[in-house]
Amino acid sequence: MSWSQRSSQPREPWFVVRRDLSGKRTTILSFISFALPLAIWAAISYLPFLWHPDIQLQISADREDVTTVYIAGDRVSKGFFPEFVEAVREQNEDVEALLKSDDPLGGSTESSVRRANKKVLRHLAPVLISHGIINEDQSKEDSIIYQAWADIASGEWVPNSPPLTEENIAIAKKNWGAMSAVSLTYDSNNFISIPLLSLIPQGKPANPDYLPAPDQVAKSGFKVLSMPGENDRPSMVQRIGHSMQIVFGGFLLAALVGVPIGVLCGTYSFFSKLVEPFTDFFRYMPAPTFSTLLVAIFLANDAPKIALVFVGTFFQLVLVVSNTTRRLDLPLLEAAQTLGANQRQLLTKVVIPGILPNLYNDLRILLGWAWTWLVIAELVGVKSGLTEFIETQGRFRNFDLVFPVIILIGLIGFFTDQILALLRGIIFPYTEEGAAASTNPIIKAAMFIPRWFRGAVEARLPPDLPQRKHQPNEA
Amino acid sequence: MIPPIIDNIDYRTQSQQVKDRFDQLKQRPVVLSVEKLGKVFPSPGGNVTALHDVEFEVFRREFMCVIGPSGCGKSTLIRILAGLETESNGRVSLDDTPVTGPGPDRGMVFQSYTLFPWLTVKQNVMFGPKMEGKTGPGVEADARQWIELVGLSDFENSYPHQLSGGMKQRVAIARALANRPRILLMDEPFGALDAQTRAQMQSYLLQIWRNLDITILFITHDLDEAVYLSDRILVLKANPGEVDEIIEVPVPRPRTLDQTITPEFIATKRRINQLIHPEGAEKQDQLPFPRMTVEGDDVE
Repeated sequence: MSWSQRSSQPREPWFVVRRDLSGKRTTILSFISFALPLAIWAAISYLPFLWHPDIQLQISADREDVTTVYIAGDRVSKGFFPEFVEAVREQNEDVEALLKSDDPLGGSTESSVRRANKKVLRHLAPVLISHGIINEDQSKEDSIIYQAWADIASGEWVPNSPPLTEENIAIAKKNWGAMSAVSLTYDSNNFISIPLLSLIPQGKPANPDYLPAPDQVAKSGFKVLSMPGENDRPSMVQRIGHSMQIVFGGFLLAALVGVPIGVLCGTYSFFSKLVEPFTDFFRYMPAPTFSTLLVAIFLANDAPKIALVFVGTFFQLVLVVSNTTRRLDLPLLEAAQTLGANQRQLLTKVVIPGILPNLYNDLRILLGWAWTWLVIAELVGVKSGLTEFIETQGRFRNFDLVFPVIILIGLIGFFTDQILALLRGIIFPYTEEGAAASTNPIIKAAMFIPRWFRGAVEARLPPDLPQRKHQPNEA
Repeated sequence: MIPPIIDNIDYRTQSQQVKDRFDQLKQRPVVLSVEKLGKVFPSPGGNVTALHDVEFEVFRREFMCVIGPSGCGKSTLIRILAGLETESNGRVSLDDTPVTGPGPDRGMVFQSYTLFPWLTVKQNVMFGPKMEGKTGPGVEADARQWIELVGLSDFENSYPHQLSGGMKQRVAIARALANRPRILLMDEPFGALDAQTRAQMQSYLLQIWRNLDITILFITHDLDEAVYLSDRILVLKANPGEVDEIIEVPVPRPRTLDQTITPEFIATKRRINQLIHPEGAEKQDQLPFPRMTVEGDDVE
């Protein structure tokens, strides 16, 4: 009670049916509308108790009797992990039993034991990588790894990321005992040929690989964007260009053909009755169903892709444009007739200028529609552009590379639309948005450049030249 | 119904001045003549007769109002005159030439705002002449003059969305006049305006009309407006739309707002009211509500 009485002005309520909030509140909410999903994503990624259904391995692990090899960074489910750990322990018990028996090789050949031992040796590689001792390409530098076993066993080196468990340090000591008996330094010709104990898998809670953390996505995003092109692999900038070429190509083609047809349909009943029934039917056939047909007609490369965007956009466009044309105020046409406009003038001087602002909005919405065909279009024939990258990396489960590209496509579409919305006010100064645009600080700033340019040009004109005034409708 | 305060005045008695004026008026050539005009709208439940045998003439420089109950076909009539609708029978002629379709010789001002939103005030006014193929500085100078006539010179480069309702209709009048029409057809042009603006617009319109050689046919449902503006009033009745009476308004010109309470003015208004709301109409208008206040209480 008391806190509301303290403020001098009565508080504006946040929830009133159909009443607009103040500009400040609108800004705050718009910010939250983006910040909230980001915050949820960050929370799920960074708070281990929130979800994290998997264990991400920190050292590599494998079992003799199972073909699946897990390397550091792989994820196993929380349910399977203890089972896996137990299995490796049992395997180690078997090895120890073997070592005490008469036949330490357990019936296998020396070379196969050596091969298995080399794998065990390299189980330590991820620990060395995470300490920066070796890089990822050096995971088979056996002599360095060999030395690491020695250092851990002697206690000279205590790894801290991840810290090895007591159990694994004990295993390291036992193994080094056997290894040092053969050779103190790595020698591939003189490598231990009695079985070594496997390291017990270690890991930390993690989310599935399809939900990378924001920082990972940001880092990979930066990497992806600055990726240079190679011979047959285009750079990310080239991919963006190619994708936009397909979307805008298909869209512009559809608009070029569709707008005149739509305007005719909206103006003349003849065209409406002739064209619209079939168009109405055709638009219910999903564009992707034509993909193989389009490849057959237009062959490889970009043509079938652009054609798919065209098919997906054109039929909607015709109907939307004809509807917009029909919505033009009939009294405007009647007034024009009483002012002496003939049929041709009605079309060119009233219908077309009259629908332009709405037509512009329609095309903006339809461009968004064309964007939605991008991925399917780029899968047609030979995969290309951003979609090819998403497809390939997605198959390798490199979702940290996939996310930046998905977000990028969204950003391109979003900003194109926002810019087009801003431009509408400038192009059509006689609409409500036009009135708002003249006071918009962003537009004012943007308009400064052309105004300055015009001023600069006029200042350089010889004074005796008649300076033409801008008369947009002067015939 | 208006209480009969002034009983002894007949709307048909005209002062000498008014009588002379009407004699003069009827000497002038007929601009618009309507003969046996009928309009039938086909509908699934049987044909609807909107207009039946409508006959009248409008003289040069006359100001005529058309009034009638709703559904009497006022709008249909003016749309036929403008050529936006075709008649079922009868004929309309302008200066003895039959009307066959819309044309710039009959300017029209609509009730809804019909300025082209993408054109400035000046470009709107130049629209008609441009449709005729006129170009050059003369057209623009001419347009400026028409804009000046309706008092909007300061707004010639404004867009319609920047104007008030009254200003929009003034531009619409200027735009129609720029074609130099023989007759100006006005379909309840001030119907959407508030009372003050409407009174102002009526005064503007009378001034414009007085200063130009223009004939006006004006549709309204407002009795005061009709009497205040007209020389003669064409009263239509509904079902089917027929001419009920053509009233010669006995109020002398020039008109001022003071005249709206003169006996002639009120007598004319009463006559129209009688025609539009015939005997017994009040009884039909009675609501079947029972009394809901307590008898004898202090609000009684």
